Amino acid sequence: MALRELKVCLLGDTGVGKSSIVWRFVEDSFDPNINPTIGASFMTKTVQYQNELHKFLIWDTAGQERFRALAPMYYRGSAAAIIVYDITKEESFQMLKNWVKELRQHGPPNIVVAIAGNKCDLSDAREVSEKDAKDYADSIHAIFVETSAKNAININEIFLEISQRIPVVDSGGGAAGKGFKLRRQPSETRRTCC
Amino acid sequence: MMRGLEDHEDGSDRSVRPPVKVANGRGLDTGRPLTLLDRLRLCQSAWAPGTPWDREGAFAALWGRPIGSFLVLGDASAQPQILCLTVGSSSEPVREFPIQRTGAVFHLPQSHLGFSDLVQLVAFYSLSRDVLPVCLYIPPCVFSLTDQPDRVLSHLGPKFWLCSSPNPQLDHMTMTSTGLTMCSIQVTSANGALPAPWTSRPANHRKERRLSTTRQWGGAGLRKMRGLSLDHEPCDTPQDSSGFPAVQSPVSPPPTEGVVLRRASQPIVCDSLKRRGDSESAAEPAAGSDSQCGPTPQSPHRVSSLEEEPDPALSPAHHHPHSLPLVLADKVKNRLSAVGQAIGGLVSPQKRLSKRVQELSERRAGAFAEMLRAFADNTLRGAAPPPPSGTEMLQEVRNTLTGLREALLDCPEIQILIDSLTDIPDPELDAMLEVSLHKVALKPVCAHLYTCLRDYRSRDGTLQNLREHQQALEGRDPAELGGTAGAGVPDAVTLERIQQRWASMHEAYSPSKKVQVLLKVCKSIYHSMSANASPGAVFGADDFLPCLTWVLLRSDLITLQLDTDYMMELLDPTQLQGEGGYYLTSLYASLFYISSFRPRLATRQLSAEAQQSLSQWHRRRTLHCNQSRRGRNRRTIRKHVRSAGAGPQREGEPQREAGAQREAGAQREAGQADGERPASAEGGSEATDAPPGGRMGSLHAAGGALEVLQEEEGHLVDTGTETGGEAEEPGEVGQEGQGLAGVVRGVPETAKLKEPEVERREKGKDKGLEDGLSNHLQSMQQTQGEAALRGDHRPHATAWTVSEDSAS
Repeated sequence: MALRELKVCLLGDTGVGKSSIVWRFVEDSFDPNINPTIGASFMTKTVQYQNELHKFLIWDTAGQERFRALAPMYYRGSAAAIIVYDITKEESFQMLKNWVKELRQHGPPNIVVAIAGNKCDLSDAREVSEKDAKDYADSIHAIFVETSAKNAININEIFLEISQRIPVVDSGGGAAGKGFKLRRQPSETRRTCC
Repeated sequence: MMRGLEDHEDGSDRSVRPPVKVANGRGLDTGRPLTLLDRLRLCQSAWAPGTPWDREGAFAALWGRPIGSFLVLGDASAQPQILCLTVGSSSEPVREFPIQRTGAVFHLPQSHLGFSDLVQLVAFYSLSRDVLPVCLYIPPCVFSLTDQPDRVLSHLGPKFWLCSSPNPQLDHMTMTSTGLTMCSIQVTSANGALPAPWTSRPANHRKERRLSTTRQWGGAGLRKMRGLSLDHEPCDTPQDSSGFPAVQSPVSPPPTEGVVLRRASQPIVCDSLKRRGDSESAAEPAAGSDSQCGPTPQSPHRVSSLEEEPDPALSPAHHHPHSLPLVLADKVKNRLSAVGQAIGGLVSPQKRLSKRVQELSERRAGAFAEMLRAFADNTLRGAAPPPPSGTEMLQEVRNTLTGLREALLDCPEIQILIDSLTDIPDPELDAMLEVSLHKVALKPVCAHLYTCLRDYRSRDGTLQNLREHQQALEGRDPAELGGTAGAGVPDAVTLERIQQRWASMHEAYSPSKKVQVLLKVCKSIYHSMSANASPGAVFGADDFLPCLTWVLLRSDLITLQLDTDYMMELLDPTQLQGEGGYYLTSLYASLFYISSFRPRLATRQLSAEAQQSLSQWHRRRTLHCNQSRRGRNRRTIRKHVRSAGAGPQREGEPQREAGAQREAGAQREAGQADGERPASAEGGSEATDAPPGGRMGSLHAAGGALEVLQEEEGHLVDTGTETGGEAEEPGEVGQEGQGLAGVVRGVPETAKLKEPEVERREKGKDKGLEDGLSNHLQSMQQTQGEAALRGDHRPHATAWTVSEDSAS
């Protein structure tokens, strides 16, 4: 089965729960036989999507204003970006729009954008209506879900949708598969002829 | 498997032998020198003679033989088999030890070590006595088996095994060795010094299958055994029918045993050295003392210069064998790991690869060696107009590394070695090849590169900024740097350890190795962050970056900046998306934050200010990314040119076929790359050619040697694709690009914005090739960009300056 590595970048204000989402996504796949990553800033998880394996390489970014200028270093080369806001903080939603703009201007050309309204378990304190967010996401053709890292709501769904939107590669196989074939063929040839 | 060889085994059958694996799962190199295991297999009927032999006969035969002489009695169906061993004590000169079989595992009752077959057990105990009173003695004649026509082997019996004239000095050696062999199985296990197959009791299924065949030796006699052995390992080197003539480097020493000799401690391996010496160079004068017997045969096989971290305990031991007790622990450890390697042929693939690359680099008049020398000369001399920035200087180096790696992949020796490492995934192989390359290519120029880097970074003011801002920011705690209160920072002890790690990171010449050290530092930072945190707290980048910055402010920022530049540009681009790439990016980001820090300005202004430099950074990384993809394409082109007769012939017929396949693959990849380009991305006007993620993982960087570039350029002109290449990245004149567009003279806006969409679609598969060409153009521009900006512009190069600078 072909393995594709997909770099996914997490953007969003500090405190909206970026790393909690990833942690939740990755935690059930902890396998003692696989070296875990050294911290939650960078995590990986491999899922099967149709006849491919998608290995998500998830890059977290620092959301503080002072580090904003550093984000391009992180999102460069990403296949997808998950922009996270906090449904209980209107401000974080406004910030999200800035991120979308920046990605459009400076990000990789066909980056898949996903918007995650996190902390949907705190609907009492909601400041951003789901409909507003959904409308905005639709207007920019972005994936949209409301998530709760705390209650594990819609976490896998985001990544599944990203998998769906990643451009399909042709029958030549995924990235790693290709590399494999390129190298192996010579040796196989040799063996059949000797 | 391989039953067909059993009774009508004939030399000619070997030509159709399918690929086989030895016990440790590696495929075989045809023509590889025999390992101890192979030799033992070849003559198994000699030391395990089967049913006619009984205990009494064996005892009689062993009487008076050199200490350690042994026979194994009983066939596999009889339980237990018995190891009869000459121990040399006057009261009981020959002793017996049952060999038990539990499931598929052979072991001595008191030992914790299990083996998947008898041969491995014997081989192990010939190097380490473990629970036996002495090591098993392998007669020297075994080491000459290589040269024997295999027919002779069929007559081998215990007579052959035991009748080789005992050499008194050998006896002496053996006893010396015995006295010094302090290792016990407990040491083995606790140290973990032995590779897994030797310490793990449960049988591995692959071995089990093989075992079932091996066990038939009982009544079948030697002939069958021989078939088996041949099946596992060629005992005669000529393998011309395989279609791979002259695959073995004429200067390559036998790899496995060479390493044994090197790794094992001196006095302890004397006996095996001696045996080897006897068999391979009979003229070797017999040495009478421990200190004399080692070095002579050892020197041709020393590869210690290849070791990443040479064990300091080893070198003094060479010269002071009498200080042995001081280094005994290390020796035992080394010895045991050497034992494991010797038996299973388990020399780490990395070492074998490095060794082979080293050989190639030293070969007189070899293409690879010539490339290396040219690279070192050019680098040390410096380019005629020096590159405008350290980044560009390093990118040149990276390009060359990539070209060298391609050249290596084209070497039959490397190809063969790689093909034998079937259980190692390609990305790992690439990484290993990189590491081997660093040794021969980067090590000689590393110091020079640092000197240049320091110059560049001084001139652009970065170092000065870092110094000043370090003072300004040093007093801030992590919270003031943007961190949250919950995360801790490293204590004094940890900080000290981190400083040591930074130092070792700086010492390393290999960017891969440096990144490994960086990961260790980041790990200990994480550890400190979560030491006092509430359970369940998840620390992401929001916490990590401030903490890293805090640590950096207490470190040697200048050196770190240079190290970071070095790693950023020289690391294999395929490594940049993974964990190492992430933390390297964080290090870079943090340094950037510090060097661009402006205390009196609002952050907004800082960002605006930073964007300028960042766009340069972005361009650079994007370029890099493209270059690596370009590698394959470039390769395709080169092959293309050559197959058209325009280039030099490749050496080796099979290689050409392999190359053709690779070429096909490269074209396919290029085609895919094209397919992934959006027909109309939203905001398409800003579309850049930065590849989407997920592709980088498969990138094999390539090309970069000057001759290759020139070749392609010629091809490019021939096919008249300059226009396509030029317009390859349409509409890229983004905001930052506007300013630069003004700088570049004589380039009409329309040319830059020309959209070759239709053309691109029509060209279909050939487009992949063009991509390579245009990408190549882009890289050419990189070096020519400056000239272009000075007005010395070639149209396409100038246009590229614009689009690249606006790529962010």
